[in-house]
Amino acid sequence: MIHAQGLVKSYGSLRAVDGVSFDVAKGELFGLLGPNGAGKTTTMSMLSGLLAPDEGRILVDGVDLAREPLKVKAKLGVVPQEPALYESLSARENLRFWGGLYGLGGADLARAVDRVLELVGLGERAKDPIKQYSGGMKRRVNLALGLVHSPRAVLMDEPTVGIDPQARVNVLEAVKQVAAAGTTVIYTTHYLDEVEMLCDRIAIMDHGKILAEGTLDDLKSRVGGRDIVTVRGAFDAAAILPRVDTLPGVQVTAAESGRLVLSVEGSGRGAVELLGRVLADGLSIDGISIQPPSLNTLFLNLTGRELRD
Amino acid sequence: MGLVLHLVAKDLRRKVRSPLGLLAALSFPILFAGMIAIAFGRGSSVPKVRMLVANEDDGLLASAVASAFTSQQAATAFDGRAVTAAEGLALMNGGKASALLTIPKGFTQDVLDGKPVTLRLLRNPSEGILPEIAEQTSGALVDVLDAGRRVFDRPIADLRPLLSASGSPANAEVVAISLAFKLTLDATGDLVFPPAIVLQSELFGNATPAARAAGEKEGESPSVVFLFVLPGVAVYGLFLVADQGMRDVMTERTQGTLRRQLAGPVRPETIILGKAVFTAVLAAGATVVLALVGAVVLTRAVSLPAFLLLSAALVLAVTGTAAVIYGLARTERLASTLANMIFLMMGFLGGGFISIEALPGVVQRIAPLTPLYWGTQGFKALLQNGAGVGGVLKPVIVLTLMGAAFLAVGAFALRRSAVRGISG
Repeated sequence: MIHAQGLVKSYGSLRAVDGVSFDVAKGELFGLLGPNGAGKTTTMSMLSGLLAPDEGRILVDGVDLAREPLKVKAKLGVVPQEPALYESLSARENLRFWGGLYGLGGADLARAVDRVLELVGLGERAKDPIKQYSGGMKRRVNLALGLVHSPRAVLMDEPTVGIDPQARVNVLEAVKQVAAAGTTVIYTTHYLDEVEMLCDRIAIMDHGKILAEGTLDDLKSRVGGRDIVTVRGAFDAAAILPRVDTLPGVQVTAAESGRLVLSVEGSGRGAVELLGRVLADGLSIDGISIQPPSLNTLFLNLTGRELRD
Repeated sequence: MGLVLHLVAKDLRRKVRSPLGLLAALSFPILFAGMIAIAFGRGSSVPKVRMLVANEDDGLLASAVASAFTSQQAATAFDGRAVTAAEGLALMNGGKASALLTIPKGFTQDVLDGKPVTLRLLRNPSEGILPEIAEQTSGALVDVLDAGRRVFDRPIADLRPLLSASGSPANAEVVAISLAFKLTLDATGDLVFPPAIVLQSELFGNATPAARAAGEKEGESPSVVFLFVLPGVAVYGLFLVADQGMRDVMTERTQGTLRRQLAGPVRPETIILGKAVFTAVLAAGATVVLALVGAVVLTRAVSLPAFLLLSAALVLAVTGTAAVIYGLARTERLASTLANMIFLMMGFLGGGFISIEALPGVVQRIAPLTPLYWGTQGFKALLQNGAGVGGVLKPVIVLTLMGAAFLAVGAFALRRSAVRGISG
């Protein structure tokens, strides 16, 4: 359904997206996971035709976005990170406008508006001006606007950022329903639990590149049975690196002043043994954390830093 | 076209829901003109200049100057009164006059002798426009006298001994001097010499007989002050309304809805065209409202085809001007500041607030570069002179050309700015 090949986008000397490629099948819910500044939003901007890539190309249903942008855009729905709504209009008026923009009219438009209002659970407040809505309700209208024209694929850019837990549950539930109905979804987020809960396949992004891609099980298996051990304290990691590096089953993921990240084979037992050796060296340790295999440990293993960093 | 109308309908619906900005822009010209009208009263004539003339010279020329303000002819504009210098000062101190003109002793003789003479004019600082009229009129009078003095220098020199001599001059001398006056007059009269020393109100003087007759026939007297002020501020008000419309491009960019529209199957050109049409619809609506207010207050018949033609050209011009400003500015705040500055400047330079004839020569030469000037001139011709289509054709053509050029540049810049705004 969506084919992205070798996407590159630079802002001056900053390469925001650096050779990103992926394929998303029809009806698939594909997650782009990465910290802030990873290049997710820039990738989404290119996919939605708002930003021309410096290199690479995008095909939607076999149609080249660069050659036939309007044709491709008509197939897509976009849910931006920040709600983009007309505050003085009601939810229904907003939906009627955006539906009309995609060519809907008459009874079809009325049915489509009712359908998405029901989906996001705002039927009763549909006539109220948006400015009277809570942040969570605005997020739900924002989602509905991207769906009103029944797009073949929806691009959702961190649709749950900054909302309360209840509203987040509502949005995630709606996304699940959309995907279950056979709509292709590309979903960006930096929340691990969201991709774990929603996505069929996940691509982990950082510094403009896709570091790993696969199903949740694929990605977890890449970490294997290894724990991620993070040691923090007043020490020079580089100085003790040669001693730690020679330990069997231990890989150094990141070593910097006051912080050492290790990938340790053998689950909790291996980590404890390692800790004994490190502490025996008489280092000043402030804290140690041991994380079992997960997407976060995969990200740590790949980048040496946590998603929230 | 359906998509453009869809965009315009959305914008109009939003404007109806949040009309404060538009109402403020629309009410400005009405309030401004209304305040001026209230300040000067609403009556059948312009408030008269209460002019005091202290003539300390008994000569012929001094009497001519004094009579320019106290004659029956001047009574339409001046409430002239001959006083002594002391009486005049007392009345000025009491705030009972607009201005006091003092003609010094020996004025006539000094003019005839070619000596520099000074007329002293004291203006009442508590009044705004009326003392200004007194000063302008006195200045014009002095210019005329000065020109006459220079042109007739030779015949006056011949005349001077005869004035002081006893008895009647010989017929031959009278004929010679008369002939000298006539020859000088023939040679220079067309260039420098006005037909007579007269006071002429621009407001009434420009009105055609047809317009006068129409006003009289209706049996009602419009507020002349309103008539004087409304065209300029109404045109200025239209620029403010256009600002409200075109500013929406920036507002939509800031709130993310422009980006969202561009992610849909819509060309940037279509969105910009939608905004231009929306702005034009707002401006046209404002024109109708202002015209209705004008019709109620002024009760003056105007040529409908001329009004429609002029309004259409003006709507194009204000839309184009706003498009250029909002296309070239990078942020909404900058654009808004720039628009206010430019509109205000045009308001002053283009004769929106002050009659163009009262402005310095440099400004009068700059004024035609502004669309506000042409709009004001067009509506003045329409309202004050009762002009038809032919009478407003020049402003219509200039406004159309300006509007088309501005709109082309503005649309190009807005498109660039819109795309840049969503992709940055």
